[in-house]
Amino acid sequence: MEAKKNVVLTLENVSKSFAKVETDEVTHALNCVDLTMHSGEFISLVGPSGCGKSTILRLIAGLITPTTGKVCVDGKEITEPSPERGMVFQKPTLFPWLTVRDNIGFSLKMQGKLKGNEDKVEHMIDVIGLQEFREDYPGQLSGGMAQRVALVRSLINEPDILLLDEPLGALDAFTRMNMQDEILKIWQKRGQLAIMVTHDVDEAIYMGTRVIVMDANPGRVVSDITIPEPFPRDRSSDSFVRYRNEILNKLHYGGKGQNA
Amino acid sequence: MASKDSKAAMPADTEKLTRQQLRELETKEKSKGQRILDRFIIALPFLCGLAAICEYCFIPNKSPNDNPYTYLGALIVLVLAYLCYGIFAAMKLRAGDKTVIEKYRYKAPLYAALFLLLAAYDYLTLKTGVLTQPFVPCMNYILNIAWIDRAYLLECTLHTLRLLFLGYFIGVAVGLVTGITCGYSEKARYWVNPIIKFLGPIPTATWIPIIMVVATSLFGGAVFIIALGSWFAVTVASMTGIQNVDKSFFEAAKTLGASERQLVFRVAIPHAMPSILQGCTQAMSSACTAIMVAEMMGVKAGLGWYMAWAKSWASYDKMFAALFMICIIFTVVTKVLDKIKRHVLRWQNGVVK
Repeated sequence: MEAKKNVVLTLENVSKSFAKVETDEVTHALNCVDLTMHSGEFISLVGPSGCGKSTILRLIAGLITPTTGKVCVDGKEITEPSPERGMVFQKPTLFPWLTVRDNIGFSLKMQGKLKGNEDKVEHMIDVIGLQEFREDYPGQLSGGMAQRVALVRSLINEPDILLLDEPLGALDAFTRMNMQDEILKIWQKRGQLAIMVTHDVDEAIYMGTRVIVMDANPGRVVSDITIPEPFPRDRSSDSFVRYRNEILNKLHYGGKGQNA
Repeated sequence: MASKDSKAAMPADTEKLTRQQLRELETKEKSKGQRILDRFIIALPFLCGLAAICEYCFIPNKSPNDNPYTYLGALIVLVLAYLCYGIFAAMKLRAGDKTVIEKYRYKAPLYAALFLLLAAYDYLTLKTGVLTQPFVPCMNYILNIAWIDRAYLLECTLHTLRLLFLGYFIGVAVGLVTGITCGYSEKARYWVNPIIKFLGPIPTATWIPIIMVVATSLFGGAVFIIALGSWFAVTVASMTGIQNVDKSFFEAAKTLGASERQLVFRVAIPHAMPSILQGCTQAMSSACTAIMVAEMMGVKAGLGWYMAWAKSWASYDKMFAALFMICIIFTVVTKVLDKIKRHVLRWQNGVVK
């Protein structure tokens, strides 16, 4: 739709360690990760808990800085969060003291751009079909509605990079499948770089043009699989099952007979 | 979209429901007995009011009673006010608005109890003297003296209000600044926390003797005491409020482009608002205590002083008149604060309840 900006996101030899709270020990959440991602890709980060997939997202968002290595967008190092890199969290984290409309307009307001852009907010409300809840407070929304609001709250900045940190993790199975299609639709329209963390292998394959498989202790990338299948994808097709087996095998969850 | 689907599943005529209609749909139809009971309860305060009037007029007095019509007039005004309110509610009901009459019905037993209480008090004081006159004066005495001494009583009331609000607002303003700064900045907390820990546990009344010696003006001293108590309550409440802000809100706001300043004013403070307002309410009750102690012990004006002064002259009726005045002021002030709190925190409706 809109003129899209091509960005290249690179992680160069990135490691991140956290000091434990009680003891003197240090956990290595990420160990020497090298990745390059481009606009137009939908990247699924999948892996068991503790593999550092959320850490990667938070590094890209600029919420934390790497212990060693560099995270760069178009060669420029990321030092702080920016609305150019919109992030959706597992919890909707809507501000409970603002109405749905004010939540969606929050980002524009913070940047002093709300005046004259009210129609943008209204458009976003239309996109998620919550016109009737425009003046409601987040406490009155269901989980799925709240997560939709959180999604468009970041999308209103038209970010070049969309970071999704298990955005569907807390939703029920049906809402989840609906939202998967909604997110795909939004992404297809703009063709930005989307990076989604998930621990659901099916979701990763269903949505991703590229699935990055990670493992824990220390957090590292074990496999980088490109999925060239067209959308919408069939969850029960042969190729889908093949991808699923391949990924599960990489994570040592595959059945013995299915070894590829 | 899920919202549209659920709408489609509902019958067409329930699509545009108001809250009132919804409640009517969901509550069971009242039985005939219940409806008669409701009418009786609505009439009850009126009957109790009449009973109070009869009690006052027809039971012989035990002690002399000058100007007997003041209390009678007050009773009649109260009963008439209740009647007018009832007529208003009935008119609203006819216009299709049930909320007023429901509220009326809900409050009716309380009003009835109020009239009964007045009658019982009058019986115990004026009629039988179980509560000895003039130490516990009957309502008629109190009303009479309040009217006779109205100019001075009003002056004292205004003085109390001025002192209360001056001290309270200074305390709350300074408390907000310190509390929010300390909640947000570790460095400020390092310096202010010891002060709070050291001065906090001291009841504000303890300062009065010191203030009386040190302060150049008693009014200024009293303002200081009241402000100190309010400051403490607001500081502690807003500090904990800000410290307890969920980190994920900050993270979300940061990725949405909020600056450091906006994180404080657009995220931290609104999030801490329930706690801050809680502190303001607490500050008001602490201010009310402090002002009474200050006026009774040192300041030579205001309702507290009026009470102490009336007691020293053995004018117990004046003492009670001042007491009622204090009750009214504090009730109104608390009510107003509560209204403000509800308005500011309307987003909590339905979440906390």
